[in-house]
Amino acid sequence: MSIERKFQIAAYVLFIAVIFTAPVFGDEFWLNRISKYLVYGMLGVAIALTWGYAGILNLGQGLFFGLGAYMLAMSLKLSSLTSLQQGSDKPVPDFMLWNAEPGAPTELCCINKGSFLWLPFQSQSVGLVLGIVLPVVIAGALGMLVFRKRISGVFVSIITLALVLLVRLVMVDAQPVTNGFNGLTDLGWLTIGGVEFDPYSRATYYLCAVCLSLTLIGARLIVETRAGMILQAIRDDQVRARYLGFDVSLYQVFFFVISAGIAGVAGMLYVVVAEFASPTFMDLSFSVTMVVWAAVGGRSSLLGACIGAILINMIEAEVSETEALVEAWKAIIGLIFVLVVLFMPRGLGGVAHDVLRWFVRRRKPAEALPALPRQSEAL
Amino acid sequence: MSAIALTIDGLGVDFGGFRAVNNVSITVFDGELRVLLGANGAGKTTLMDLVSGKTRSTQGRVFVYDTDITNWPEHRIARAGIGRKFQIPSVFRDLTVRQNLEVANCRNPSVLANLRFGFSRAEANRVDDVIALIGLDAEHDVMAAYLSHGQTQWLELGMLIVQDPKVVLLDEPTAGMTQAETRKTAEIINNLKGRHTILVVEHDMGFVREIAERITVLHLGEVLAEGSVEDIERNPKVREAYLGSKGIS
Repeated sequence: MSIERKFQIAAYVLFIAVIFTAPVFGDEFWLNRISKYLVYGMLGVAIALTWGYAGILNLGQGLFFGLGAYMLAMSLKLSSLTSLQQGSDKPVPDFMLWNAEPGAPTELCCINKGSFLWLPFQSQSVGLVLGIVLPVVIAGALGMLVFRKRISGVFVSIITLALVLLVRLVMVDAQPVTNGFNGLTDLGWLTIGGVEFDPYSRATYYLCAVCLSLTLIGARLIVETRAGMILQAIRDDQVRARYLGFDVSLYQVFFFVISAGIAGVAGMLYVVVAEFASPTFMDLSFSVTMVVWAAVGGRSSLLGACIGAILINMIEAEVSETEALVEAWKAIIGLIFVLVVLFMPRGLGGVAHDVLRWFVRRRKPAEALPALPRQSEAL
Repeated sequence: MSAIALTIDGLGVDFGGFRAVNNVSITVFDGELRVLLGANGAGKTTLMDLVSGKTRSTQGRVFVYDTDITNWPEHRIARAGIGRKFQIPSVFRDLTVRQNLEVANCRNPSVLANLRFGFSRAEANRVDDVIALIGLDAEHDVMAAYLSHGQTQWLELGMLIVQDPKVVLLDEPTAGMTQAETRKTAEIINNLKGRHTILVVEHDMGFVREIAERITVLHLGEVLAEGSVEDIERNPKVREAYLGSKGIS
């Protein structure tokens, strides 16, 4: 095993150890905030998987995050106290009652035209399952359309961007069913096997930490497989890969779907932690922000993108709450992004990689790489 | 008489009225090395595009042994046994030399079949052999992006060797190479002779003499002549159309 490999494993182990010991250092409110950042970390991994490894820049990752969030939020909304105490023995979301036509039955089936869509969500497991199945199905369908047509590069970005905005518009417009701009608030707690996940509890924090760790390890393992290597080959040269006999679109769809699944789970966790779902999840700015996290952390490094997401959010929270910087914090974040893109185009992960290489070479000069001939000289 | 490996039967393509390749019929026998010769615009690369599926033909058929592969999608043609090297070398730039060859070594192309780690001893040995054959031992752990032009060409040849297609299409494998590099490329290609059926597009006559058995000359999208190097050199039609009055070389 090479030193670099050992270092990589050590970095993953260290990171996971840190997030699992974090609860020692702070109170519940701090933990709740860090839980959100861990969820953002999952989004960083999802972006790095498609952008860094598949070369697909998805500017609409918020779509899958939002769908996951809404699916679970619908279930949690129905299990909240306010939904249960609306004068009916069946739960009804409060906003539906406020907007109900006079004389409408206070039942989910028929309080308004679209409310029957909520019926299955009376069971939390339906929300949980759909929170991952719906993003996966939509990503699969979208991927089949886009990648079968051999659409690539910036066009994929534009299509995903347009799609997330379209869905956002529909969600806002379907006010009677989705509560429009206001989103779904006042949610109940997620309950799995008798364990209630109070957003301000260690249990919820550990739920996020476990999900993030599994995501990181799973994603890492999957890019280490042959399929992961073929995916990177496809990123480098689709045509070459096709002439080696690989059905390029299937690989792209497969990893696109995995990324969407991760975003869906992240959306669900966010709802558990933040206790709301809102159409802002599908804002363009949020999807672009995710890409920035991955760019700063290093898009070709899963762990880097994850740490990038967490780090930027911590800095953002710190800076925006410092009185002297209240006005300037957005500029500071922007500046960090510009500097990173200019001076370390491969992000923090790339810098870590270079530092390690330099260190290894210094220790073992005999094993240093042969001087690389430059193309111009060779010609 | 050995079997026919590649049959091109009346193949043609019509680009909105312009017939880049018109009614071309070529049969290449199992294990043969055939050189495609022709001036710029003769339709050599287009013919390769038609055979390998990059361009859809509008007439004629293509067979690999007995399989009709006309207008199949590229990856299925590749699986049917046709490998191709491009005029502009194309490799996976951000993978190492070894990884490039390993990708070519994944025999089962499906996603799920490739959800596993590592390579068997036999597979690893095969990659080692090819690395030695293309002379990139010292660079096996180097990103393909850092290779020289010649090395990149050899790597792509190596990927073809690992892929082990029945029929190999080589589009100007010595383009942009120095003399020494060209000689080494000829060595690699001669090494492939016999084990694979090879169709080469090439301009460099010195190189053609070194490797060729039979030559097919294309002119304005049609087959002008076919024969041994001497036949072609003596053929007056070829001289007129392609070589001018001075002859080859």
